Amino acid sequence: MTRTTEFLAFFAAQILETIGMWRIFVKCGKRGWLSVIPLFRQYYLGVCAGRDGEGRMLALLEAGVDASIVSCIFFEVGSLQYMVASFFFLLVMIPYTIFRIRVCFGLCDAFGRNRFWVVPWIVFDWLCALIWGLIPSFKTAEGYPFDEEEVAPELSGLEVDLDAPGLSINITRRTAMSFLKRKVLLRDIHLNIPMGHMVLLLGGSGSGKTTFLNAVTGYEKAKAVITLGDSDVYKQYNSMKYDIGFVPQQDLVRGSDTVYRTLSDAARLRLPADYTIDKRRNRINDVLDTFGLTPVKSSLVDKLSGGQRKRLSIAMEYISDPTLFILDEPDSGLDGVMARSLFEKLRSIANTGKIVIVITHTPDRVADLFDDVIVVAKDAMRTGRLAYYGNTIDAYEFFGKRSMEEILMSVNRKEEGGEGRADDFVRKYSALKAGGMA
Amino acid sequence: MDTYVKHTGRVSQTFIYLGKLFRMFIFRNDWKALPMAAFISGLVSFVVGKKMNVSMEGTLRGAFAFSCICIWNGFFNSIQVICRERHIIKREHRSGLHMTSYVFAHMIYQAFLCSCQAAITITVMVLAKVKMPSMGYVTDPIVDMFFTMFLITYAADMIALFISSFVKTTTTAMTVVPFLLIFQLIFSGGFFSLTGNAYKLSYLTVSKWGLTSLCAQGEYNSLPMTSLWTSMSKMRSMEIEGQKPVDELLDYITASKRKDELMLECGSNNQDKRYESSAENVLKCWRNLGIFIALFAFLSVVMLEFIDYDRR
Repeated sequence: MTRTTEFLAFFAAQILETIGMWRIFVKCGKRGWLSVIPLFRQYYLGVCAGRDGEGRMLALLEAGVDASIVSCIFFEVGSLQYMVASFFFLLVMIPYTIFRIRVCFGLCDAFGRNRFWVVPWIVFDWLCALIWGLIPSFKTAEGYPFDEEEVAPELSGLEVDLDAPGLSINITRRTAMSFLKRKVLLRDIHLNIPMGHMVLLLGGSGSGKTTFLNAVTGYEKAKAVITLGDSDVYKQYNSMKYDIGFVPQQDLVRGSDTVYRTLSDAARLRLPADYTIDKRRNRINDVLDTFGLTPVKSSLVDKLSGGQRKRLSIAMEYISDPTLFILDEPDSGLDGVMARSLFEKLRSIANTGKIVIVITHTPDRVADLFDDVIVVAKDAMRTGRLAYYGNTIDAYEFFGKRSMEEILMSVNRKEEGGEGRADDFVRKYSALKAGGMA
Repeated sequence: MDTYVKHTGRVSQTFIYLGKLFRMFIFRNDWKALPMAAFISGLVSFVVGKKMNVSMEGTLRGAFAFSCICIWNGFFNSIQVICRERHIIKREHRSGLHMTSYVFAHMIYQAFLCSCQAAITITVMVLAKVKMPSMGYVTDPIVDMFFTMFLITYAADMIALFISSFVKTTTTAMTVVPFLLIFQLIFSGGFFSLTGNAYKLSYLTVSKWGLTSLCAQGEYNSLPMTSLWTSMSKMRSMEIEGQKPVDELLDYITASKRKDELMLECGSNNQDKRYESSAENVLKCWRNLGIFIALFAFLSVVMLEFIDYDRR
């Protein structure tokens, strides 16, 4: 075959595949013209197959395959460029084939066909695309699309007063771009936390708790206005970041340092430069006392127990005396007594006029220490929404439950073993707030 | 209004992290890199040391081997240092850490480690009676040698630091190392003859500049070439029309005590311009290794500035 013939054959196969794909997309309820754009075509094939992630990867790999094929056609056989292009083609074809197989499996399921169809799909994709697209008997299976969502609750639009003292949160939405798709992670969360309150943040796995906290702290900015006292967290981030303490889930400390040295370095990094050495030393000693770390201050971090390490992790953030103190599962790996003791310390910090927000998966053993609870839940569109914010006593009444864990179960999705009533409570809370505001 | 409160600057932060790194050296067993360097250089000196700086072939082989152990040391000094504490750095970056300070602290610490390793390697060479260069082109011969080995180790170290700054896990980092090593070995231009584009690629390797500098300092072009004599010795028994001309020739050369002259003559006909023994050539190699160091340190800072975009 001459070069021209090779090129024409490649081009013809692309056109035939496009025609077939157009019809397949239409059958799957997508826009047919998307098949004309090569990379979009692979991605939407993945979407049709119910495998968005694989489709995304396939689109990227397709770009590599096409580029290497075109290079092979244009460069002279035997030249260095031809060799490089061939080598690249070989490299890319391996994952490309694997991802094609995955997408084809999904497509077979979507069309209710035997998975043996994967073999012809891999070998003669253009022919299979034509057959599946143009033959009427090839249609999507009953119940397709299998993960169709219900309608998510409408937006409340009830923003809180930004001039109110404490922490005011008005998150319109927080989105993340994932390849060709924008995913809404959080939406319509408006609340105000007064100074001196200790707040429990409740929500199932993947409901957006950490995303919410990252949006509040400004680590991952959302379309939102967050104010702490008179300061706008986003606009004044460079100064505000020292006034916000965020203790992550893992203990992010270096094992080769002593406890004192770890705290001392954290103090030098976080405290203002005009702090005198004595003032800094006093602050370190105070924090060591507050978290019961004085007896182990000369020990290596590697030698600490789980509880001590957790307290050190918290102390590192507390050293800068933040107004807003956020902790992501500080009690993970601690027994009931140690967890209780830790939360009592947090309560005492809140009592000094700070705002403390805590995520915990075992809330009931310390529920009495919290003033308020924020319940974040995934709505029908799998977006994090505010299902409740108010004091803990009222929360039991609002959800009709007797414990925080029961509240959590009520908003968790059914496939996660919950009651799947998140949307009901999002609507109920919106109505409650609208009524209150009216 | 944004109330400006001054926090710790870049210089102070550099010292904070420098302290952390030296404590890691003591408490986290990073010091083990030093006896390891002694062990490897001992092995290499034992295998290739006797012929180094004695003959062309031995010098090339020795320079290649010592470049490789410097690269090996450099890679393993820092391939995991950043990625193993990536989450910690991300947290500290959000608390005001400047990445320039962090990388600069690493550069100072790694320079200390690399200089120790280079000094150890040279000490082991001396102890193993490896012939050292007789002439220093920039400074003293031993200092020149030390500086070359330090720069090779440090340049490899900075490449590994860069890799460590963009991979997310130590497993990935360790997977990348063999590929980097193979690239350095193949494209050093010392052992595999490279032509065309492949030769151009050798300019991008630390091993090429290290090897060149070591060969230049070892006066490669003034040394005898022994391979011809060795090959001819293997052909002594070859008979042509009932006679053994090669055997006779070698006997004659030996008897007339012209063996060394022959090997020197052979060497002078096989000189390699790349290994020219001059201060300019050595300095050029050092400059190029310096470019590697600066470039990869800069790239590490750039990569780390994006650490906040890491997904959970």
